[in-house]
Parts: sequence; structure tokens; C-alpha cells
Amino acid sequence: MTQETDSQDPQRNEPRVGVYICHCGGNISDVVDVEAVTRAVAAYPGVVLAKNYIFMCSSTGQGLIEDDIKTMGVNRVVVSACAPALHELTFRGALQRAGLNPYLYEHVNIREQDSWVHKQDKKGATEKAIKLTLAAIEKVSRQKELTPIQVNSEKSTAVIGAGPAGMNAALALSANGLKVFLVEKDKEPGGNLKALGKIYTTGREAGELIKELVAKVKADRNIELLTGTVVESVSGYVGQFDIRLKQDGGAGRSLKAGALIITTGFKAYEPYTGEFFYGEDKRVLTLPEFNEKMKAPGAAEYFRNIKAVSFIHCVGSRQTEGLHKPQADGKVNAYCSRICCTSALHAMQGMLEKYPHIQAYDYYKDIRTYGLKHEEIYEYLSKKGAIFFRYPDDALPEVKAGDDGRLSVKVKDILTWNEEVEAACDLLVLATGVMPNDIPGLVNSLKLPIGTDRFLLEAHPKLRPVEIPNMGIFIAGGAQAPMDVQEAATGAKAASAKASLLLSTENILLDPFVAKVDPDLCDGCEICVAECLYAGAIVMKDTPKGRKAEVLEVLCKGCGACAAVCPRRAINVSGYSLDQLDAMVEAIAKE
Amino acid sequence: MSENKIIQTDTLIIGAGIAGMQTALDLADNGKQVLLVEKSPSIGGKMISLSKVFPTLDCASCITTPRMAAVSHHKGIKAFTYCEVKSIKKVGGIFTAELIKKPRYINEEACISCKRCEEACPVLVKDEFERDLGARKAISIPFTNAIPQYPVLDMEHCIACGACSRVCPTKCINYLQEPAHYTIKAKTVVLATGYEITPMDAKKQYGSGKLVNVISPLQAERLLAPHSPFGKVVRPSDGKIPDSIAFVQCAGSRDKSIGVPYCSRVCCMHSIKQAQLLSGSLPLADITIYYMDIRAFGKGYEQFFQNTKAMGVSFVKAKVARITEGEDHDLVLRIERQEGTSAPEEVKHDLVILSQGTKPAYLAAPEQCEGVKLGDYDFINTPALPCSPNLTDSEGLFVAGAASSPKDIVDTVQDAGSAAMEALNYMKGKGL
Repeated sequence: MTQETDSQDPQRNEPRVGVYICHCGGNISDVVDVEAVTRAVAAYPGVVLAKNYIFMCSSTGQGLIEDDIKTMGVNRVVVSACAPALHELTFRGALQRAGLNPYLYEHVNIREQDSWVHKQDKKGATEKAIKLTLAAIEKVSRQKELTPIQVNSEKSTAVIGAGPAGMNAALALSANGLKVFLVEKDKEPGGNLKALGKIYTTGREAGELIKELVAKVKADRNIELLTGTVVESVSGYVGQFDIRLKQDGGAGRSLKAGALIITTGFKAYEPYTGEFFYGEDKRVLTLPEFNEKMKAPGAAEYFRNIKAVSFIHCVGSRQTEGLHKPQADGKVNAYCSRICCTSALHAMQGMLEKYPHIQAYDYYKDIRTYGLKHEEIYEYLSKKGAIFFRYPDDALPEVKAGDDGRLSVKVKDILTWNEEVEAACDLLVLATGVMPNDIPGLVNSLKLPIGTDRFLLEAHPKLRPVEIPNMGIFIAGGAQAPMDVQEAATGAKAASAKASLLLSTENILLDPFVAKVDPDLCDGCEICVAECLYAGAIVMKDTPKGRKAEVLEVLCKGCGACAAVCPRRAINVSGYSLDQLDAMVEAIAKE
Repeated sequence: MSENKIIQTDTLIIGAGIAGMQTALDLADNGKQVLLVEKSPSIGGKMISLSKVFPTLDCASCITTPRMAAVSHHKGIKAFTYCEVKSIKKVGGIFTAELIKKPRYINEEACISCKRCEEACPVLVKDEFERDLGARKAISIPFTNAIPQYPVLDMEHCIACGACSRVCPTKCINYLQEPAHYTIKAKTVVLATGYEITPMDAKKQYGSGKLVNVISPLQAERLLAPHSPFGKVVRPSDGKIPDSIAFVQCAGSRDKSIGVPYCSRVCCMHSIKQAQLLSGSLPLADITIYYMDIRAFGKGYEQFFQNTKAMGVSFVKAKVARITEGEDHDLVLRIERQEGTSAPEEVKHDLVILSQGTKPAYLAAPEQCEGVKLGDYDFINTPALPCSPNLTDSEGLFVAGAASSPKDIVDTVQDAGSAAMEALNYMKGKGL
């Protein structure tokens, strides 16, 4: 598992750098003088050619690089373009296709860190692009060939959470031939589906849908369903995750899995006591409570005596600081919960179909019935005489107990030109938003990325929508964002496709950018061990030469904290050696 | 008439927009052979022509181009562009598709993409990629980062002057090229045929598409793109930089009069995004969005909407009843506010972006694609909702992206991954 090899080919050791400056279709070239950058770097020692092109990432752009490697003897490549997060892998691929070690590559960000932030200073931006590119030339000239780290992989996936997302993910993985552990904290699988009646837009009974999914899961030999079980912690790494479980009754258990899919779902926002009278008056319910009431025995009797029901939207969603009471973490729920508009209107439709004598009132900000056949629900209600009031962002509806013993909702109604309107009702339903379930064990032990909305944060919404930066861990369903059953199933299957791909090869390949200790320089001071952020990634070992630090490659994330504190320059991160960094700083500081 | 070539593949994907490309990549990464068929001369779909995409404001080229490059470099994917599907039939568990490859009038094997033909051509015609806002030559490569980089000779506008043929260094122009016919045998099919926007002339009240400064959202995307046809935002009638810009929402959605009663799902956010980009490039311009409901429902969308409000874009809840032309092709909008005041009023704007809706691009006759049924509003029917939204009425034939219902890019990419998983598991289950 060596990462650095001096190539046998002597020509490769003499750097012949090809430099490519991308216009990014104007994103860069409108600010940075790409011709000037090309000229300035072309003459630099070690550079054999410098070119610029409108889109380096296009097929033609990548073709330029491949041709130059094959015909011009280019053996080191620098591309000055966008953020490396976007295209470093793209260009490494081009090197690989041309037969060059893909790590003999340096990506310079002259867009996010230059043209986009220095629009007013074109000259300065051009100078900065030159400096950054020269630094990269210095770095890549000192770059050695690297090979990826190989990890043996367990051919199993742990799916955490057995709601609609988790069950669909488990079934998809199993169909693809993988062993699945499906872990569920509740006694029964089903998640939030368990609380629902008919679901939009198919009109299917949620209970039946759960039955069908659970039957499939239970009949599936590849799936081991572990209910009443929570994940205490996860250690290990991609291909070899060690999962510690705690089961109801206190029994512990450990699992090994090659990949994880987190489908821990969301919970309904819980109004605070007094929010629209919630908790103070029995007639104020959340939407899930209303759905339960509709299903409960005696519902017909109860609703027969109800004359009017009001629904208030955006309770726990689209909140603004200063107006709404923050959650325990000090933040309000600024996001839209996506599903509550259609859910609330669908619940209202169910009520009016059964109990047409009821007058429905709806207090909303925007009606977001976005999906195919959602709009029909809205239309149905309008036709059945439901009355809609639109309240402004800064003036919430006011609820009070009327003199006649009924509830009353007063609103500044935008639709009637800000007139104050008041309507009495016998039941008030709060269309509550959703918040992700708390999963501290997973979040802490895996350092999962969390967005400002507290949901799990994907690596990129369009490029990597079910992945996170931690390799081997995928996300889907309501843990990632508010979504309905169909959307959760879609995300779950997309995540399964990624997990299947990961586990389909013999070995998983990891980037070789990890720390390496030079045992001849290491004096065993242990400062690095104290500094390491990843438990077990760097440890002390007794060797014939004395006590030395040693890196466990699969655990090391290449953060460089150990290299930074080592007083003897004994630690280098492959691909980011201290010599390389020194040379970069010098190139930038040089007049 | 050329002979009929037969090609075997695991999965045939129709449509090489973001849905088709993502499905192809997910399948090919999992070891399957994919044939990706696209009716346009380049892969990339609508997404490659967009400016920046919500809610991250990534430039669309920057995230679509590498997807396109990945498709073209993948050993498991073969892309057939400028190709039409005549029919798909299922016989004995295998799909047979008849394709016609339209003639580009060049010999693709010999073409080196040097663009000399394009430079030599004397004929300028409207550029479809720029949504008619720019010009291209009668022989041209469709756009800068098109894949493949072959020019297409537009016979309708060619004057047969021979200029292209004379300068071509490889003598690859062939004015007599015939369509080529292919028969594809595939174990599975994925329809990723996407959407079209509702026609500009659908509404008489909005000028039937005849008002020169009323543009479509896709034209606005081109004006805002980093490599836009004019390098800045100008209005079509006189090239003036607009001071006052209006977006008319639901101008083709939630509207029974034109047969699109559903919400098109992307228009609120693309208008909000365009408004944000406009206020960046034209800081002094007044920007107004006339809307019914703002549907910023996706992850991070509400915050994006609130930021746009904070940047000074006005959101006016109003129904636009009529758009007419005033002096200098300025536009007069007769609106009825649903907030503040009640009387109808007339407002002037320099440039109007009509937020047209989306409708399915796939409108083939049922016999063209055996077994597939159309569902609500002619989107492809998906009988196995909610858990299997990629299944159609034909076993082994799947749907991905906006072909089954309107979807934004984020939702499309997930849907494509899901479609790939369904196709993989179908093949595995059937031992194909």
C-alpha cells in the first residue's frame, strides 16, 4: 500500500508541466486577462506549454490535455479554473485516460477565489491568477506519483431508520444482492407513515402501504430487521463500519457494514404551550393529531357536532427571527416544510368528504400545492366552499376564546385588502412543519454534516444529492429535507444505487492524501497524537529504532494537523508535503 | 437507403438531458452497457443552456459540462445524437427500437471539428441554442461546449454555395448524406424525454407571442448566461438596457384555459433566481414579480426567496390580465392586485419575462412506444406510486425526470438515480 513511488521512467521525474487556463465561458475571462496569465506562466521554468480555452471541463478542453500528454511529453498538469470541489476529479480523469498518474495534477481556483470576488479589480485579479498558478506549478513540479489506498469491503449495508425511505432502500439493496441490516428505533417499522390515513395523491391507505412494505421486508432473506434498536455509535471507515447498537431492554449488539444509508426521518414540529392556544385548549390540534382524530373510534360522532374547522399553515415553518419563538438551539425554522400545504389541504378534503356540513377555514401565506394532482385538492376545497385567508409574514393570525365558548381566529387578510376578518370555529388545526429526528449518536460519531436548517446536508444538491463528504455514507428521505412518501422512496433508491456501486467492486479505493511519518526523523515526542482529530489515525508504536508515530491510512483524513505540529518535519501529507507548501509560499511571495 | 445496423445493449435511454445523462452514468458505473439517444445534435438537454441554477447559483455550464464529458468518456455509454426513435416494441422480453439518425451532411469519422466550414459559411440564421436571440451559420457546431463537436448542415437554409466544402481540410462535407437506420435490442428502456415549455402564443391576453419585448424564461436564461449572446442584458426591440423588468408568473400553469391546470413547479424559483441575477447585473433596475403563490418549497428555496426579497426585488400578488405595447415597444401590464388596493391598474415595464409552464415533451402515439400509457395531462403514467415512481405500464420500461411530472434539477437527479436502481434490479431479478 505504498502511495509514493519514484517512477522507473526517468523522463517522468523531470517535470514537464502543461498549464491550462479556463475562461469558464466568461465567468473567469470577463475579469481575469487569461491571455496575460497564459503568457506569464508559459515562460516559467519547467513549463513546456500554456494554453487557455473557453471551457476546459468540456470534452474538447479535456482533449487538449490528453493530446499534450501523449504528443508533447507533458508529465505534470495544472488547470486554473473553478473550485477543485467541482472539477479536480474531472481533470484527474483526463490524465488517467492519457496514461499519466492522475495525482500529477494541481487544480487552481481562479474563479470563486479570484474572478468572482475581484470583479472591480481586473488588474489585481489577473496578477492574483498568475501568482496562484505559479504556486501550483511549483507544487506540481515536486509532486510524486501516488496510488489510491485499497480497502477491503464488507458486502453489507446498514440502513438506519425503517420508515418509507429506509424500507425502500433496504428492498432495493437486497434486490441487488446485498445483505442489509435495517435498524429501527421503534417497535414497529413504518415511521411517520404509521400516523397517516389516506395518502395523497394515490388515495392509498398508509396502513396498507406499511403492511405491504413490512411484509416484503420480513420475507426478504437478505434483510435483517432490527426493531426497538438504536445506534449508539459508529466507528471504522468506508467498507468496514463498526456499528454499536442498543436494543430495547438494554442488550447491546455490534454489526459490521460496508456502507451506511441514513434514513432517520423527521418528526412533526411541536408547538410550544400557548402557541395559537396549543396545549391550553383541547380544541387546538396539530395536523398529525387531527389525522389521528379522524381515524379514532367515535370520530363520526365527534365531527357531527362540529360546525367549523380552521387550519393555520406554516406553524413551525417559514418562521422569522424576532416574530417567532426560537427552538432550544436558538434558531427559528426559517425553511418551508414542503409537505404541509398539500397534507393540510388533503386532510381538509378528507374531512369535507366525510362531513360535508363542516365549514372549513384556511389561514395561509402561500398555498404550495406544487406536485402533479396537488392543485386539484386546492380546487376541490375552493369549490366546496372552504374559505381561504392569506396572512402577512409579520402579522400572525390571533386565536382567542369567543364569548359563545367557541374558538375564534382573527386575521389581517391580504386577499380582502388587509381587512381584519374574524371567524369562529370549533376545532383549530395547526399545519405543523417538520424537523429532523435527533440522532446525536450518529451525528457525533460520524461527524455528519448538518445544514443551517438542522437537516443532514448533502455534498451537492445536484451533483451528489444523496452523498455526504464522508465516503460510504449516504442519506435519503426526511432526514435530509422535508419530503413526501414518493420523494422519500425516490431518494432511497437513488442512495441504494450509489451504495450498490460502492460495494460492487472487490476493493474500495480511497484518495492517497494521508499523513506519512519518516521514522528516521521522528523522535517519539507524541505531540502529533494529541493533535489528531480522528481517533486512532496516528498512534505510537515501539519499533527496533525506538518509539515512533505511525499512521493508520484508512482512518487518516489528511487534515495535516499532525504535520503542522511536528517539530522535526517528520510528518508529511502525501500530495501536500511541507516542501511543496514552502515552494508555493515562496512563489507567491516572490516579487 | 443505408442498411439497417443492429446494436445490442443493456439499457436504451431516450433523451440526454440531465435525467437521461444521470441515469446513464448510474447504470454504466454499475457495469451496464447503455445506449443514450438524443434528438438534438448535442447531449446536455435544457440544463446546458441555463445561466445559473437555484438554489446554489452554480453556473449551469460548470456542472452540466462535466456530466456531458463523463457521458462521452464512459466506456459503458454510447451516445447517439441527432437521432429519432421511430418505435419501441417488446418481443419475448426484449425491447426492439427502430432509430433514424438524421443526416448532419458531414462524414463524422473524418470531421476534426476545426470549425472552418462554420467560418466560411455566408448564411446567418437564428440560433436555436440562444433561443433565437443570436445568430448561427447554416453549417455550425450547435454551441461551444456541445458534445459531440460535429457541425450540422441546416439544409433548410443552405444555399448550396459550396463554401464549406471548399475549405474543409478533410473533405468531410457530404450534401447527399442519407438518414441512417438502426435497430436497437435492449433489455430495458428508460424514457427521459423531459419537458417543453408551454407555447409563447398560448395566451391572446399576453400578446400571442407577438410583443417583441416579452421574452420566455429560457431566453432570459441566455441573456443572463456568462457567455450570453450580447454579453449583457438587453431587450430585443432596441438593445436598450432595461430599467424596469417584470416577471409574470403562472403564465402557462395553473391555467385551465390553456389545458395546464397543474403547477409547473420550477417557474417560481427560476423567476426568483433570474430576478436575483438581474439585480446583480443591473443594480439600478426595478424588478417586479407578479405572482399568485410563491412556491419556494425545496431545500434552501425559502431562504433563497427571502434573500431575493431583501435584495429589493418586489413581489406583488396580482393577476396580470393583459399585456399590450405602448410607445417604443414598452409594455403596459393591466394588473389586478390581490393585496393593498383593489382597482385594476396599468403599469409600464421595459421588458417582461413570461413564466410559461412546462408540459411533457413526450407526446408519441401509444403505438410508437408499445405498452406505455399516458397519464394525467399527458405525462407518462406511473401506476406504482408512491413507492415506485419510475415504473410505467410496460414492465422493464422506466421513466426518469420531468417526463412523468414537472421537476426541478435537484428532484430530477434523484429521480434519475432511482430509475437506474429500478432498471438494475429488474435486470438482476430477470437474470438478464
